[in-house]
Amino acid sequence: MSTDSRARNYWREEFALIALLLIVFGGVIVFSSRLPFEAQLFPLVIGAAGILVCLIILIDQLRRRAVPAPAKVVSDDDPVANATWPRFATALLSAPVFGVVFWLFGFYVASLAAMFVMPPLMGYSNWRTMLIVGLATVGLLAVFFPYLVGVNLPHGVVGDWLLERLQSH
Amino acid sequence: MFDNLYLGLMAALQPKQFLFMVAGTVIGLWVGVLPGLGGPVAMAILIPFTFTMDPLSALLMLASISVGAAFGGSITSILLNIPGEASSAATAYDGYPMAQQGKAKVAMGLSAGASMVAGIAGVLILMFVSGPVAKVAVAFGPAEYFALAILGLTVVSVAALGSTVKGLAMSAFGIAISLIGVDSILGTERYTFGYVYLLDGISFVPVMVGLFAITELIMMIVEGGTIAKSGKLEGSLWQGFWGTFKYPFTLTQSTALGAFIGVIPGLGATAANFLAYSVAMRSSKHPERFGKGTPEGVIAPEASNNSCIPTSLIPALTLGIPGGATAAILLVAVTVQGLRPGPLLFTSNPELIWGFFMGLLIGCFMATILYLVMIPWFAMITLVRIELMAPMLLIISLFGAYANERNMMDVFVAIGFGLFGYFARRHGYPLISLVIGLILGKLAEGSFHQALQISDHDYSVFLLRPLSATIFAICVALVLWPGVKKRLGKGGAEVT
Repeated sequence: MSTDSRARNYWREEFALIALLLIVFGGVIVFSSRLPFEAQLFPLVIGAAGILVCLIILIDQLRRRAVPAPAKVVSDDDPVANATWPRFATALLSAPVFGVVFWLFGFYVASLAAMFVMPPLMGYSNWRTMLIVGLATVGLLAVFFPYLVGVNLPHGVVGDWLLERLQSH
Repeated sequence: MFDNLYLGLMAALQPKQFLFMVAGTVIGLWVGVLPGLGGPVAMAILIPFTFTMDPLSALLMLASISVGAAFGGSITSILLNIPGEASSAATAYDGYPMAQQGKAKVAMGLSAGASMVAGIAGVLILMFVSGPVAKVAVAFGPAEYFALAILGLTVVSVAALGSTVKGLAMSAFGIAISLIGVDSILGTERYTFGYVYLLDGISFVPVMVGLFAITELIMMIVEGGTIAKSGKLEGSLWQGFWGTFKYPFTLTQSTALGAFIGVIPGLGATAANFLAYSVAMRSSKHPERFGKGTPEGVIAPEASNNSCIPTSLIPALTLGIPGGATAAILLVAVTVQGLRPGPLLFTSNPELIWGFFMGLLIGCFMATILYLVMIPWFAMITLVRIELMAPMLLIISLFGAYANERNMMDVFVAIGFGLFGYFARRHGYPLISLVIGLILGKLAEGSFHQALQISDHDYSVFLLRPLSATIFAICVALVLWPGVKKRLGKGGAEVT
């Protein structure tokens, strides 16, 4: 996606946000219908107030869109408009992908993958520095978390399964 | 009184106690830097080690961790816009813009100055005002708690950066999230959809990690370069430290607000941090400078959270009611040592109590010195390329979310809130309002129902009790004040 089309999509993002909030507040009201009165009162008040506020925001946005010459939605120094698509994709996807790898394969695989895959995707090319920083970071954290903070490093679903298999043999 | 002070000073200055305080402060500074792993978590991990210690050493070490963590939490708030502690989240609003301007050292100097002054003030209040203040705290019933929660939401929604309507939407969203789990009044399950994970509600730590750490990380990656845009550090540490005293009104106001909030059980340093920021912005002559790197925006939240921590011990030590997580863990430590919290503790163990108070006072100076020694090294982070720093922060942040309860679901909750926070922030929805809604939602609902139960479902209870009526009047005044100010022609900044 080009930066221009991303900038044009800003209003879609905003409407998507409003829609998400409306769904949440609508859900708060709908799913409270079977609750006793005391437990239902607050959800009803918050849900109704939330919907009202979202509608005000929505009307305001629609009014702005209806103006023939809309104000510039993106400023010249907007980093999103200036970012390349691999950088933008890395920004949005690195956390979800890390989460999935962390869950499946555990701390070591996820951390090493993050340290060695993310920098090149952002255009970083100094492999030597990356290797030293990556190994040092993962090594230090692998000592720090279990021994100094007292939190064991998870092996992930696949890692646990592999360990179980190895132990059974 | 002076006998007690001397007794306490002698007890606290014993080499053994001093070493435990240094160890506690260093641990606190350390964990304070890590998102998700705050002072209470470190205290909870280390509490078994205190069982074999003498009571004063145990209490001093645990309290030093808390003080150190409050200092440490501001480091990443300022340098990376990622709060190490939830109670330092608002510090990032102006601390980070200062770091971007290359003034990281100045911002951290301001934080050190404000934290030290407020911490000392908080300890002095704890020492000398415990009795009377505890009586005021006892006068707070459910109606007053409900009024306070509404006050918190009002202040944040009206004064938050960005549009007020969007602030209200975020507050409502925060409260909606706080409704998930077992209802505190009837024990009814709400919005759990059969998932055990949701029974206790959505934990505060992954939400904070997501909204602040992951959101900021996405922003950083998109922008690239280094945090300090100029690529160099300007200003000095001492410029910031002494600069704190150029804002006596903000410093005093925020310290007092934090101390007051600390005394009230259930509110805590996080609420104090956000509220002090909002109040400072509203009372400032230049509210338009907030969010862009004004020193007042660093002083206010740091002063409030550091004065809040000592005063949260007032109801814990005098009445046995913990003011927050820190106080609750300290109460456990006191009880495990075979002591009973309450007024008798002051008369039966003066050496312990006054030694503890003096230790806290010394701890404030110690934390400041250690913080100032470490700052120049920490400030270098703002010059590291984001391409190298982003993966490190991603690992630490998401592991912090996991480590809180060793639950993988917390990681995905943090990621979800991170993505939501990124888009919300880009469109001017203030995340601060969501956080305050989440913090105060449960308190508001619980207090509301309790007040009604006590008053036999008489809704006028909120207006007939003088304290709650006064707080509600303040809420109304806050909402109406910008309009009144405009009408009177006094100008002032526009609150959008």
